[in-house]
Amino acid sequence: MSDRLRAFYGQAIAVLLALAIGAVIIVLVDESPVKVFMTLLRGAFGDQTKIAGTLLQTTPILICGVAACVGLRGGMFNVGIEGQLFLGGFAAALVGFALPLPPGLHMIVALIVAVLAGAAWVSIPAYFRTRYNTNEVVSTILSNYVAVLLTSYFTIFLFKRPGGWSETPPILPSAYLPELFSFSRLNWGLVVGLVLAVVVAWLFRHTARGYSASMVGSAPKFAEYGGIDVKRQGFIVLLASGAIGGLAGGVETLGVHHRFMEGFAPGFGFDGLIAALLANGSPIGTIFTALFFGALRSGSLLLEVDTNASREIITVIQALIILSVSAQVLMKRRGDSTAGERRWKF
Amino acid sequence: MSNAFSTTTADRPAENAVELVGITKRFGAFTANENVNLTVRRGEIHAIIGENGAGKTTLMNILFGLLQPDEGKIRIDGQDVVFGDPAAAISAGLGMVHQHFKLVPSLSVAENIFLGMEIVNNGLIDHAAQIEKTRELSERVGLKVDPTERVSLVSVGIEQRIEILKVLVRGARTIILDEPTAVLTPQESRELFQTLRRFVADGMTVIFISHHLEEVMEVSDTVTVLRNGKHVATRPTAELTKADLVRMMVGRDVSFDRRPREATHGKVVLDVRNLWARDERRLPALRDVSFTVRAGEIVGIAGVAGNGQTELAEVLAGLRPASHGEAFLNGRDLTRLSPAAIRKTGFAHVPGDRMIRGVDGGASISSNLLMGRQYRAPWSRGGLLDWKATDRDAEAMIKRFDIRARGPHDTVKRLSGGNIQKVVLAREFTNDADFLLIDQPTRGVDIGAQEAIHSEIMSQRAAGRAVLVISVQLDELLTLADRILVLFNGHLMGEVDGNEADDETIGMMMAGLQPGEKERELVS
Repeated sequence: MSDRLRAFYGQAIAVLLALAIGAVIIVLVDESPVKVFMTLLRGAFGDQTKIAGTLLQTTPILICGVAACVGLRGGMFNVGIEGQLFLGGFAAALVGFALPLPPGLHMIVALIVAVLAGAAWVSIPAYFRTRYNTNEVVSTILSNYVAVLLTSYFTIFLFKRPGGWSETPPILPSAYLPELFSFSRLNWGLVVGLVLAVVVAWLFRHTARGYSASMVGSAPKFAEYGGIDVKRQGFIVLLASGAIGGLAGGVETLGVHHRFMEGFAPGFGFDGLIAALLANGSPIGTIFTALFFGALRSGSLLLEVDTNASREIITVIQALIILSVSAQVLMKRRGDSTAGERRWKF
Repeated sequence: MSNAFSTTTADRPAENAVELVGITKRFGAFTANENVNLTVRRGEIHAIIGENGAGKTTLMNILFGLLQPDEGKIRIDGQDVVFGDPAAAISAGLGMVHQHFKLVPSLSVAENIFLGMEIVNNGLIDHAAQIEKTRELSERVGLKVDPTERVSLVSVGIEQRIEILKVLVRGARTIILDEPTAVLTPQESRELFQTLRRFVADGMTVIFISHHLEEVMEVSDTVTVLRNGKHVATRPTAELTKADLVRMMVGRDVSFDRRPREATHGKVVLDVRNLWARDERRLPALRDVSFTVRAGEIVGIAGVAGNGQTELAEVLAGLRPASHGEAFLNGRDLTRLSPAAIRKTGFAHVPGDRMIRGVDGGASISSNLLMGRQYRAPWSRGGLLDWKATDRDAEAMIKRFDIRARGPHDTVKRLSGGNIQKVVLAREFTNDADFLLIDQPTRGVDIGAQEAIHSEIMSQRAAGRAVLVISVQLDELLTLADRILVLFNGHLMGEVDGNEADDETIGMMMAGLQPGEKERELVS
């Protein structure tokens, strides 16, 4: 328990440090950090529409974050969630406009196809990882570019809606994810994300498979020695992570845009990964870190209206968070390595 | 030594090289050192012994500036000092040779020795000067090394010499050695002791931590015994016997005589035939090894660390490919199976490298004991884990194996080394496997626990299991094994009956000689 508490403090300090450096940068561009942060807060939580807007931004970050958690806990660094999100989003749209089905069922089939598309997309790097021990970080990063361009190609050359925009035809209303409130596009996707986070946390803690997967993640040599098929486990973990990445795309398509378009959900996959890292791979923790990043995104909409700071300041703050979280990971490793040396002395 | 108790006068250097007065160190509610006093006279070899968790390492870490005491004083050469970090301790003339060497394998011997204090000429490292100085020092103190050799190519014994030279180059007058002989042959140990005696004859002081009581008896002038973080006694070694030391360490009598046993004639469980394997450098590490282990039999593998034992254990466990040969367990060839499949043939394994292979240090005791059973009742049903049953099971194991922990949720890496080993043993010994591969059963485990572990191994034998024990501690094999096989340079040098084995014969075979060859050939 004290370990977990210490991890929490560590991450909190990382965020505060990032915000502090962000404040310095804001001062350097001749703006008041207090004003900027207050505007961010107001933009994110000022009234019920704004809160709903924040939650709308949170949803894909959360689902992508859970996808990243599955990978991290299972010892696989899936940096390809962005690509799986694009594939899943496109696949859901395809089912949504091209395959008429009864309401409800239509939505579910579209989501399932999105999940399969995400899993299929990650199966390529997963295969190379398992078969040839190719570093999955590199191959999943590269697969992002292919995914984004591939879906653009599909959209523009094969399924373009007649008219000027690079987007598919709109999906049929029978495939919509229902909205939660009348005043916002916020939809059941958020509920899907929350339930998913809880379920994934439960799976890791309470099932034999989850135990095996998390052992491969935390102590691969121990897992191998203990009789777990490490390669197979890694493949499954990547596949599951990619499937959830695909689901994130499906939810975004069916809940928000109701079509697929070029650049339809930029950066959610990466934000999700950062949210998961900041939460130390805990799906429940990711709920809160995803909300934090969702609030930053949504709050920044007001930033250029009310202050002289650019929206990009939130990108800077995110980058600073990544830096301080990684610095912390490195420091922890160093601490652990000396602990390792001492462990052997009696 | 006759003037050992005379008083210090102002014009003579202080009598005591190191004095620790009333040292207390707490970690939360746990007191690692409680009011410990240690006085080390100049020019003596001072051994510090005690069980795991007795506070030896904490005390040495405090002396070397790695930890700060909560109470107490440190005096070096009669001067009060406060060491904020090891650098301060080094500049006060202390040097520490750690149990696990900290050398850079890709650099040469001389580069390692001068690492961090390179001899610089016009902004460039003066390699010639470093090599020259290394050679000069190595000859002066009688620790032969080749200054230009890469460290990755030298033996463990040489690595230790390099570590000692490193400490000397930094001007140490008092050297602390942590378990220095754990990795050495009996012959190498003897050479080390000669070196240490030369050091003290030159007026230096040696503090050394050890588990091997024979060594303590052989080499030390004075012994300090710690138990449960407290100072038990400091006595001249000459006044003590081994039994006295054990009694002071453990607080009771412990015996390491050969375990009595009934002869057994079980069926062959493990059958290793013409096994070859390579090490990380792709060099042959196991050469044509063949042997069998029968049910109800303990076979010991003796040898100096690094003569193929690790490779043998890993090949059998499926963690390293065999380049040739077979190893049948219950009729199935282990060299063709994955680690997971090998487990299913009835294979239990206590790995030599317990922190990496044996446990997930960051996880709880329960979680570590669950490994390998997560798909079986009562630990799980229908794929769902029953953590309550797992915790209950863990509590029973903690009791049975006397694991010193607060409970099943304690994080494993917070336990002492001996207790971590007990977690591994608890898991592997309760798996009902036909064959147990036990690599270094009591490495770093205290004497009381060693006895308990030996009893557990004997009861596995009595239960009809086939047991293969790999150990660098010869006395352990003499206590346990029905037959002892000696590995040297990947070859099996031969087999000795456990009832007739003696140090001398096996020691020769460990050095690569057949018994009967003459002693003088050892020198060449």
